[in-house]
Amino acid sequence: MDTVTRRGFVGGAAATTGVVAGRDFLFGGSETLASVSETALGPVIEDVVPTTCWIGKQDCGMLARRVDGRVVKFDGDPANPRNVGTLCPKGQAQIVSIYDPNRLKTPLVRTNGKGERGEWRTATWSEALAMVAERVNEVRERDPKLVLWQKGRSKAKKFYDDAFVKAIDSSKLGHGAYCSDAGYRALEYTIGLHGVQHPDFEETRYLLGWGWNITNAGGNKFCWLTWPRQMVAARDRGLQITHIDPRLRSAGPFADTWLPIRPGTDLALALAMCNGLIENGVVDVDYLTTYTNAPYLVGDDGMFLRVDDLPQVWDSASDTAVPAGEASEPALEGTFEVEGTTYTTGFTVFKEHVAPSTPEWAADICGIPAAQIRSIVREFGENASIGSTKVIDGVEVPYRPVGIMAYHMAQQELGFQALRAMTMINMLVGAVGAAGGTFSDFTWKIDKNYEAFEQFTVEDPPYDFLLKNSKYFPINTGFPGMLAKVMLDPERYGVEEVPEVAILHMVNPLGSFPGQPEIIESYKKFEFVTVISPWLNETADYFADVVLPAATIEKYEGPISATDQYIDATTLRLPPMEPLFESRGEIDIYLDLTEAMGVLFGEEGYLAEVNAALGLEEPFALPLDEKPTVREIFDRWSRAQGLDEGIEYFENNGVLVEGRIDPTKRFGYAADPPFGGVVHRLYGESLLDAQRQMQAKGADEIYWRDYTALPTWRPPTMEGSPSEYDLYLISYHQVENKQSRTGFIPLLAELTPQQRLDINPATARAKGLNDGDEVWVESHNAVTGESRRVKTNLAFTEGIRPDTVGMPHHFGLWSHPTSRDRGPSPNEIYPTGEGYMANTADQSFHVKVKVERT
Amino acid sequence: MTKYTMVVDLDRCQGCRACMEACKIENNTTEGVFWMYVFRLEEGEYPNTQQTYLPRPCQHCDNAPCVKVCPVGARYKREDGLVLTDFDRCIGCRYCELACPYGVNYFNWGKPEKQHYGEWDDPDLQAVTGGANPPWSNPDLARPHGDEQRMVAGGGHHKGVMEKCTFCVHLVERGELPACVVTCPVQALRFGNTDDPETPVSRFIREHGHFRLLDELGTEPRVVYVGGQPPSDEVHEIELVHAGVER
Repeated sequence: MDTVTRRGFVGGAAATTGVVAGRDFLFGGSETLASVSETALGPVIEDVVPTTCWIGKQDCGMLARRVDGRVVKFDGDPANPRNVGTLCPKGQAQIVSIYDPNRLKTPLVRTNGKGERGEWRTATWSEALAMVAERVNEVRERDPKLVLWQKGRSKAKKFYDDAFVKAIDSSKLGHGAYCSDAGYRALEYTIGLHGVQHPDFEETRYLLGWGWNITNAGGNKFCWLTWPRQMVAARDRGLQITHIDPRLRSAGPFADTWLPIRPGTDLALALAMCNGLIENGVVDVDYLTTYTNAPYLVGDDGMFLRVDDLPQVWDSASDTAVPAGEASEPALEGTFEVEGTTYTTGFTVFKEHVAPSTPEWAADICGIPAAQIRSIVREFGENASIGSTKVIDGVEVPYRPVGIMAYHMAQQELGFQALRAMTMINMLVGAVGAAGGTFSDFTWKIDKNYEAFEQFTVEDPPYDFLLKNSKYFPINTGFPGMLAKVMLDPERYGVEEVPEVAILHMVNPLGSFPGQPEIIESYKKFEFVTVISPWLNETADYFADVVLPAATIEKYEGPISATDQYIDATTLRLPPMEPLFESRGEIDIYLDLTEAMGVLFGEEGYLAEVNAALGLEEPFALPLDEKPTVREIFDRWSRAQGLDEGIEYFENNGVLVEGRIDPTKRFGYAADPPFGGVVHRLYGESLLDAQRQMQAKGADEIYWRDYTALPTWRPPTMEGSPSEYDLYLISYHQVENKQSRTGFIPLLAELTPQQRLDINPATARAKGLNDGDEVWVESHNAVTGESRRVKTNLAFTEGIRPDTVGMPHHFGLWSHPTSRDRGPSPNEIYPTGEGYMANTADQSFHVKVKVERT
Repeated sequence: MTKYTMVVDLDRCQGCRACMEACKIENNTTEGVFWMYVFRLEEGEYPNTQQTYLPRPCQHCDNAPCVKVCPVGARYKREDGLVLTDFDRCIGCRYCELACPYGVNYFNWGKPEKQHYGEWDDPDLQAVTGGANPPWSNPDLARPHGDEQRMVAGGGHHKGVMEKCTFCVHLVERGELPACVVTCPVQALRFGNTDDPETPVSRFIREHGHFRLLDELGTEPRVVYVGGQPPSDEVHEIELVHAGVER
């Protein structure tokens, strides 16, 4: 590969000056000397090659500095719009993982029973692949859906989630139910975009940082670095931030106002904000009337008035009901009589629904002063600038510089409806897709779930093991915690067949998912488990039959978006060195595995599915009878993108920057058709319909109660715990960690050595406890009555509500020497399943706990 | 003439500690050694709580107490503003550590090769690294620097010597920025020549209110803080990292 410049340093291969021999006394036998000695024989080859960060979520562009092929440093790639030459602590520290002697060296085959620490023998790749192929094929022949492909972080979705899963026709399961998928579903339902709220930082002037971990981790699409960059730039332009979270630390000095809200009550605050905006007359009538179902006429049964299947609105010009979209003066508000029956507009139903949600009502629920609620309603409304427009990149669009960042807010029992209600705050002021407003994706591409959610079909049992179309979850993210419960008691959920074999792709459920006891028990049910991972992680240790060693950053992977929401760019992960030991990149592994399974070649084989997923057509399509190298695949893909140099373009340049995203793609109002042609669902008719279908099928109230047309507050299930469980437990990411693999990096372990329990000093002292004291944290499941406890030490902070305690994630691991003895994971005491998940089958990270001295 | 100054923008710092990690990798410092340290600080009572972050590298003082007390001239001040340690000359008396009011000196108590975050003597690994310890060891650090060609770059060289932040002398001498400045995701760190009043860094300091840490001691630090205020007596540290230095 060519030598490229780094920070203006020209001539990277010339770093041979100033070498001094004979410093053996200083360095002993250390490498520094070895490198110098070689120099005496000839020039050190120093170069810089582009690659892409692997350790976190957002795949920052990187340059690897190499000395004689040995990587000595990763730096951010200045040409990559996403991180512009910078890296976070994880990105810097990951260099340790490419040399980690604790990584898997060869494929391993278990020699002892499952459910305990593994004992292993080494195997060749061909032996291990043949074993996996035989066991998986045996099940596939009976029913391919009984093969479960489960992923954690999938970094080349087209090759893995799409092509591999299609080629073997397996079931698949992700990790989103532990992330923000309740929010994804809420936004897909409400505005049709795949994502959770984020602001247009270039134009936003007022931001509700709702639970947003500004100074740690977590945000829509990006894990950390890009949003903070844009946020500090926005603050230079005067951005004001109201921070809504039980912990101050999630925004730290960037909170202009801190609303320390009670955990799990965000829906109530959002309803109060909607009510306040309506009371203050801060309503964008044009947007609501033109682009939402707010004017649709709703009958007493909660359903839209339909004629020939078309929902009707009231046309004030003709004083008649006409199909939506055909009224010359559609009425946003009012109650009207149509053929002797009374109908009310969706907006009026909404207005009446939120009317009792006064600031005082919400203050009582949320534990924050009513005056503060009034003031953020006023600030939000004033900044919304309803009626104004601004020319952005030559296109005039509505200007509503009020944004919401709400990503991990989805991780609560009422997550789906809370995120719906937050979206309605934006909808009331017309800020969805407006300059400075709120977005949930980078372009106005409508997700397929928008259409799918128009009408739910709730079926009778038997259900598949993911409970698709069941009376439990008409909207169903795919929830490993629920799968665990199903596998432990399939009959209870009307399930006849559970998965028999699993392929675990870069996922560590034992280390990462709440309901840890249920997860552990469920994996015992699998007859055969294959783990693809660089490390013998916790899940592999207990449950793998075969472990296939994967590479970390040292592989080809992609294509990877490098956008920062304003500039369109694409990159690849390129190997800065050969895969360590006998590890292989996952694409290599799937080429080999599908070959061993006999599904690599042919019209329905993996290669054909790769062609389909990557959009490779002649002359770039992969031949279906010839096994390519991964580099060849990306070479063809690169040429298909119009790059005549093929993959060498990326090897030389790192990133393909397409330029600024056109305003007609970015802004919903400017899109053609506007907002991608969908009607925004203020009123969730199909949710109410789903509730009725669930009831008709005999589902218990705990499943159907949150399928309501409008977000409806109720106290979370955890409030049913006995009063001795007097504190709310919340959990969060620290910036030093993302995925359990960061727990295996000693440099990061040094920064976050031990678990802790954040507690307000006043709360602790009232219990006779002091900073640093070792305590039991005991949780209570209000549904089952079960309690679970872990031991940790108190960490005093004045930056947390007195009724709330907090624990970071990424502890409680044991498989790597670096991860041991650093304290427990909150996952050990979070319940999972009924009462502790959203109605969309997404984990809640809230539970009531008590804290006692050990 | 060039005189280097580092500017820390407290209005931008997110306390992420990427700078600490970039420094460690670039300079091959050993376990517990943080030439750059980012304090996470808190003061006030709930709900009137303030949290702030404070990056603290060596202050490269123009009137450096550490230089004055060094009995062998190992700790010295260069014309370009850098305060450096000649690890060939250092006798490990630790006077500099005592004299420094900022707590940025780290003494190498143990054998560095045993404190590089792992066991790197695995034969399969050595086939890849050529025996490098740590595997990411940076050859620039084994080269002499400056007009005097002294051994001043990098850390973890051998037991019994003192070390601290060098402003990445090996990078600065070839026109690059220190590793902490390069990696900072939010441009909270700036670096440049302030002998020339028209450099971006000179202008930035001029246009912003600023302070220096423990300015009252007359140490004349070359690290300038913009935004925020000097930490008050009321602050306490949260989320501290156990660094092998007296603080």
